[in-house]
Amino acid sequence: MITETAQSPPVIFVNAFLLLLLTAILVNCSSEKKKSSYLRHVGDIETDSKLDDPAFKLCNDEIFLKQYFNFSQGLQYEGEMLKIKEQFELAYVPIEINESGWVRIRFVVNCRGESGRFRMISSDEHYESRDFDARITDQLVGITKSLDGWKPRPDSENTAEYYQYLVFKIENGDLIEILP
Amino acid sequence: MKSFCFTFLIIFCWKAKAQPNCNAYLYQGDTLKYEACLVSEKRAGYYQFTREYQEALDRALAIDSTFAYAYKVKSTAYLKSGDFITWKALIDKAVKYDPEGELFYRGWCRYQFFRDYEGAIADIELLDSLVDHDIGFGQNGDYHLEMTRALCYKAIGQPEKAISIIEKKLSDSTYFASPYDYLHLGVLYLEKGACGKAIEAFKRQEAENDLAENRYYIALAYREKDQLNLSRANLEMAKNLYLDRSRMFEPYTEHMDKVYLKEIEEEIAKSINLDE
Repeated sequence: MITETAQSPPVIFVNAFLLLLLTAILVNCSSEKKKSSYLRHVGDIETDSKLDDPAFKLCNDEIFLKQYFNFSQGLQYEGEMLKIKEQFELAYVPIEINESGWVRIRFVVNCRGESGRFRMISSDEHYESRDFDARITDQLVGITKSLDGWKPRPDSENTAEYYQYLVFKIENGDLIEILP
Repeated sequence: MKSFCFTFLIIFCWKAKAQPNCNAYLYQGDTLKYEACLVSEKRAGYYQFTREYQEALDRALAIDSTFAYAYKVKSTAYLKSGDFITWKALIDKAVKYDPEGELFYRGWCRYQFFRDYEGAIADIELLDSLVDHDIGFGQNGDYHLEMTRALCYKAIGQPEKAISIIEKKLSDSTYFASPYDYLHLGVLYLEKGACGKAIEAFKRQEAENDLAENRYYIALAYREKDQLNLSRANLEMAKNLYLDRSRMFEPYTEHMDKVYLKEIEEEIAKSINLDE
């Protein structure tokens, strides 16, 4: 004969299990609400099929992506920064317009020295976000995308891929400095 | 007395190091900043670009929104990623809450990362007006802020003012020349046609820290003085030094007056043509 007392323990276990399950769900929901506003690293660029060239691929996993200065060897471009400056001097046509400030174009260099995932921010002379005339920014983006001398960096385990950026100082539509 | 000495020691160590000693806030009676400081230390072991590093600083700032140091260290990853908008918003808060402590960093970075010459001059001169001690060096230690100020004046078309600032600094018997001081002074003289003084400065640079750059520029000065053999020899030396990596270097940015291999080779080619 199965007594009522004998039946009770399984009911308690089921209830306890349900309670635990409910707690787990609530904790999960709560942690989703607290999801970080940060990506893995400051400045990380997630792929965007609407913006990015589908042919551009990383050779390694995203987690191996570094910053250009992590190698302590400065900017790595065939012909150095001088070559980059020469290419902009040749190609950039100043626009006569009362717009000054900075434009940054950040991108990824993969293990083959190809560049991709280009993203732009821009500000006025007071570091306040602003848009520049498209005749300025279209040129900067176009010339940056055409740069083909980026060197992939050797690494101990992987051929390291990295984030690079160029900052352009604009004065009345003219390009007066290229950094970093 | 013992307590005073201990407190003094803590505050002195705190000021002497970039990383604050949280106990200093406690001894100053600022318990809120003390708590924020302890929380900010939770970022230890994380790379400054990481989510964990940034979140630890956010938690610290949630405790004390006037904790200048947290704003500064939070800003660094944005600076190094070229995000001048976020960097400036953060470093402005650091300066707002601790102008004497953080103006040097904002001024230096405006020069180094964004070639914001006017902004750097304004920050350095404001700092100088606020403190009665030496205003110190830029973040990477290569330049005293007076030298930085001089280079900014040069860049905005005031070379005479730049020369005056550098000459004054280098004549200070308590100041030890930094790695590139005489090089920049020599270039300034060279650009105004004072080749004799330029050569003198480049020789001082050679004695302090021989670089491809001072050999390159002294070669140009010798050429101006029709001393072509000396010019050619220094260009060859410039190339050797360059290939030997004895040249201006900074891992994040490029120095003013830096010379590239192609420029040296072009000058060597010119000197060969002059010989023929």
